[in-house]
Amino acid sequence: MSEKFEPNVVAFLCNWCSYAGADLAGTSRIEYPPNLHVIRVMCSGRVNPLFIVNALQQGADGVLVSGCHPGDCHYMEGNFLARRRFALMRELLNFVGVDESRFNMSWVSASEGAKWKDVVTGVVNNLREAGAFTEFPRKKIDW
Amino acid sequence: MPDLEKLRALAKETISRDDIKCLIGWRPGTYGYRTSPHFVRSPEDADQLIFSPLCSSNLATYLTLAEKRPVPRGAQPDTRKVAILVKGCDSRAVVQQVAEQGIKREAVYVIGCPCEGIIDLRKLEDKYPHTLERVEARWENGKISLDLPGGRAVFPREEIVAGKCLTCRYPNPVIADVTVGEDVEVRGSAGFEDINWLEVKNAQERWAFWRDKVNSCLRCYSCRNVCPMCYCEECILEKQNPAWIQRSVNISENTAFQLARAFHLAGRCIECGECERVCPVEIPLTHLNRKLVKEVSEQFAFTPGVDPEAKPLLVGYRPNDKEDFIL
Amino acid sequence: MSSKPKIGVYICHCGINIAKTVDVEELTRYAVKLPNVRVARDYSYMCSDPGQLMIREDIRKNGLNRVVVASCSPRMHELTFRKALVEAGLNPYYLEIANIREHCSWVHKDKQEATAKAKKLLQAAVAKVRFLEPLQEKEVDVEASALIIGGGIAGIQASLDIANAGFKVYLVEKTPSIGGRMSQLDKTFPTLDCSACILTPKMVDAASHPNITLLTYSQVESITGYVGNFQVKVRKKARYVDFSKCTGCGLCAEECRLADRVKSEFNMGIGNRSAIYLPFPQAVPAKYTVDPHSCLFLTRGKCGKSPKCVEACPAGAVDFEQKDEIVEFKTGTVIVATGFDVFDAARKPEYGYSDYDNVLTGLEMERLISSSGPTGGKLVLGKGDGEYVPKEIAFIKCVGSRDKSTGNEYCSRVCCMYTAKLAHLVKDKLPEANVRIYYMDVRAFGKGFEEFYDRVRREGVRYIRGNPSEIFKRNGKLVIMVEDTLTAKPLEDEVDMVVLAVGLEPRRDAREVIDLLRLSQSSDRFFLEAHPKLAPVDTATEGVYLAGCAQGPKDIPDTVAQAKGAASSALVLLSSGKVKVQAQISWVNEATCRGCGYCVEICPYTAIELVSVNKMGHEVNVARVNEALCKGCGACAAGCLSGSVQQKSFMDSQILPQIAALGGKS
Repeated sequence: MSEKFEPNVVAFLCNWCSYAGADLAGTSRIEYPPNLHVIRVMCSGRVNPLFIVNALQQGADGVLVSGCHPGDCHYMEGNFLARRRFALMRELLNFVGVDESRFNMSWVSASEGAKWKDVVTGVVNNLREAGAFTEFPRKKIDW
Repeated sequence: MPDLEKLRALAKETISRDDIKCLIGWRPGTYGYRTSPHFVRSPEDADQLIFSPLCSSNLATYLTLAEKRPVPRGAQPDTRKVAILVKGCDSRAVVQQVAEQGIKREAVYVIGCPCEGIIDLRKLEDKYPHTLERVEARWENGKISLDLPGGRAVFPREEIVAGKCLTCRYPNPVIADVTVGEDVEVRGSAGFEDINWLEVKNAQERWAFWRDKVNSCLRCYSCRNVCPMCYCEECILEKQNPAWIQRSVNISENTAFQLARAFHLAGRCIECGECERVCPVEIPLTHLNRKLVKEVSEQFAFTPGVDPEAKPLLVGYRPNDKEDFIL
Repeated sequence: MSSKPKIGVYICHCGINIAKTVDVEELTRYAVKLPNVRVARDYSYMCSDPGQLMIREDIRKNGLNRVVVASCSPRMHELTFRKALVEAGLNPYYLEIANIREHCSWVHKDKQEATAKAKKLLQAAVAKVRFLEPLQEKEVDVEASALIIGGGIAGIQASLDIANAGFKVYLVEKTPSIGGRMSQLDKTFPTLDCSACILTPKMVDAASHPNITLLTYSQVESITGYVGNFQVKVRKKARYVDFSKCTGCGLCAEECRLADRVKSEFNMGIGNRSAIYLPFPQAVPAKYTVDPHSCLFLTRGKCGKSPKCVEACPAGAVDFEQKDEIVEFKTGTVIVATGFDVFDAARKPEYGYSDYDNVLTGLEMERLISSSGPTGGKLVLGKGDGEYVPKEIAFIKCVGSRDKSTGNEYCSRVCCMYTAKLAHLVKDKLPEANVRIYYMDVRAFGKGFEEFYDRVRREGVRYIRGNPSEIFKRNGKLVIMVEDTLTAKPLEDEVDMVVLAVGLEPRRDAREVIDLLRLSQSSDRFFLEAHPKLAPVDTATEGVYLAGCAQGPKDIPDTVAQAKGAASSALVLLSSGKVKVQAQISWVNEATCRGCGYCVEICPYTAIELVSVNKMGHEVNVARVNEALCKGCGACAAGCLSGSVQQKSFMDSQILPQIAALGGKS
């Protein structure tokens, strides 16, 4: 491939920590790759693990779920519940041969604008290596 | 091996009770090695009951399938118990259904049948294809003997039982109101040799394996329909609004369906192997389930379907759950 | 079913904040072509009045029923635009915001890339807004009363403020008297007001206030319910004294067989009391209490022929038949003012607190020097004939504060000044005494603190910078091993007495309060406020507020200020009489719910319960959401296998189109 592959990443961010952290990265004008697009949810506990499968089907090359650090959840327990669900979903995806780089999870607090940049950059760089997701994206029929 | 006469006598006695409306068991099928579920409603029905290495189906599925027909005005719903014959794995389904309130414990009368392994019909049909006469089978001293048209045949258990029975750690029912026959030895190992070979392959090889298998999925939903843990009134994987999965049959939707089905069983699968048994295109579905069984056991030290009081796995957490995968 | 979506898209330049990096004209042209979009406009400041007017007019003129604003973060202006929708007669929840500033123009440089990303974000917002549903903001009534847990100065102040505003207050105090830590202090820094003189009038006010129900010697057993409607159960422990009969004359204590033989908690164990006692002379209520742990009659079942207190009481108030009593009531809000415990100096064994009599803690010194204390304010050591006046006195600061080895990294904020105050009091009583203070830093940050610190030094108190490593005894004297870090000289300082300026720690039974109210702790183990800066008295549990040292170490003025803050927060709720409940909450489709109860177990707020409903003649369980309790996290929705639980505004049917839009190539 002569042209560098640019992955498309869908990210689910909790409103209180990670979304606020990403806002802070913005306010602090911290630059990072434009490949990642955010869906705001109130809590990482809202993210149904099947959203990950769906995003991969719908054309995402990778997915990120980000929530508050353990103990900081605005709703006390949501990130703990999410951690369990995604620990299993991650293993399942891995088991059917989906590259590990395609599903990512992070804890980013409202004060970690710099960490947010690192997370995005890391995820995007890994996916640039991994290339496009070709295993089971939905075929789009465009008439 | 339980004495059939005793089993039938017990069934007669059970169905004669006022608080029991039906007894679910097995009877011989119409031909060959087949067996059928048998719904005993009167003492006479009990004469057809059998329990043998051919009784593969997990009858616990029927507990949640029972249709709740409208009750005519003024009438009372029939709230009598259902009696059910369960093997070890089937009993775990009952326990898990109770644990997640799919059924009430007091609504079932559990008749436990310790089990030394169920014949994998595919293995048998490879050896004796197109058998039409009814065949009987029994456990004998760790072996399985069959009365075939050509005479009696005896197989070592390991050669002929289903894969799930080789890894089975619960051959004896984990709950039962009454047990038929003696408890049997636990032979299955606690390891995961059945999936380790696949785990050690690289991602491309694993995907190549699954792509070939899942590609042939017909989306007949048999795996879901037969599963004793799948009893939603309306499966979200078939809903059109919102449509999680489209109806078309292709690698994308098939994979998503199988991943979602497996994930919905995370921490709930009781390893009865029914999904794989009924799959008409022989997708090794238990591999997916077993992978999650392994993770659930290793990461969270959790075994579903053994304690009716246990909280389901994914409704809770421990503060120190593993998180080395989190950035 | 709502009518067909007619979407208006409004793209903000934010001056040049967005327009510099995102081609807003191109974005506007793109937006018009998206499905169901009727109108798309761009404007320099969408949040300004003209910007909002533009939206309102389009809603009215073009019959828009959905609005997408592409602008800054929804955390910034979502409410602004919701109001604009309401003013135009549209349900405020028909709004979706595409964050093209913080998440796009501010973090990317390449205009082409940023514009492409903005298109996607906008497309996702349009995809979602089509499926949004109108939501109603419901209100629930607020029970016009407050529960205050803890009867120290914070609890007293908060109670008085709320009671004076005309609302009922239940003030629950664990010990037999209100007053708390402040009542144990002699003077207060830096003004040297007599602590009791300023506190006791407030204690009396609280006790006599018609709106305040004082529940002393009581503990909260359970709190259920939610903001505006808490159900509280309080255990009133048996005092074995009839409250209505006791006149507080004290004859019982004088006659008690254990008179002056039980360690006084109030005096930090350096003075004694009886088994039937008043914790301190100004205690409120001035009623006696039998200590069940020391009373001979209660511990051994026998006290001579008959308990002397019973005989002594002229009012016949002592009643050993008394039992604990459970009091139940409803309140609208709760203020937690449970205070602090002092650091246990025994956890720094090198200072010999457990080994040597003349090593005291600050609070013990406070009692020793107080005129209401066991020595009547005489600063003497030893007992009886061995009584003597100390000459060499040392203070050691930061004992159990700013010390990782004790797990307390934080500064306790009061020790610098209480040490200075105690040093001053020592100099006042014993002008001949040599007083020195070993310190790491002096933090004199408050109003009048620096001036006071300066005054104390001018009075002859020596400040020596150094953290003592050990205290041992030699020839009847205490020897402090320390390095003076300003001169880098090791010292061996022989003194008569050492006062350890122990820090403040969370209450040892804080766990019980956490379990009652589902509070969180910050890393210092004090209760966690909702926001360290902007919501310092709120907690994550709505309607529950923090006051005083329960939230973190602070001095009396800060405690009172926070108590007033907590009271005013509580009063906002109480005086409005209504509280809005979250609109974006969970909702159960009972038709498909299988009644497994996963959501019930998942919900951190116990907002979901299983209820039995009749479906075609069959009693079946389905989940039901208590709308006042639900906080709208959506964890139940992600855990529901049948998709029957959905979080409003974050439904599967709304998120899946977002995923589709973001997954697709734009």
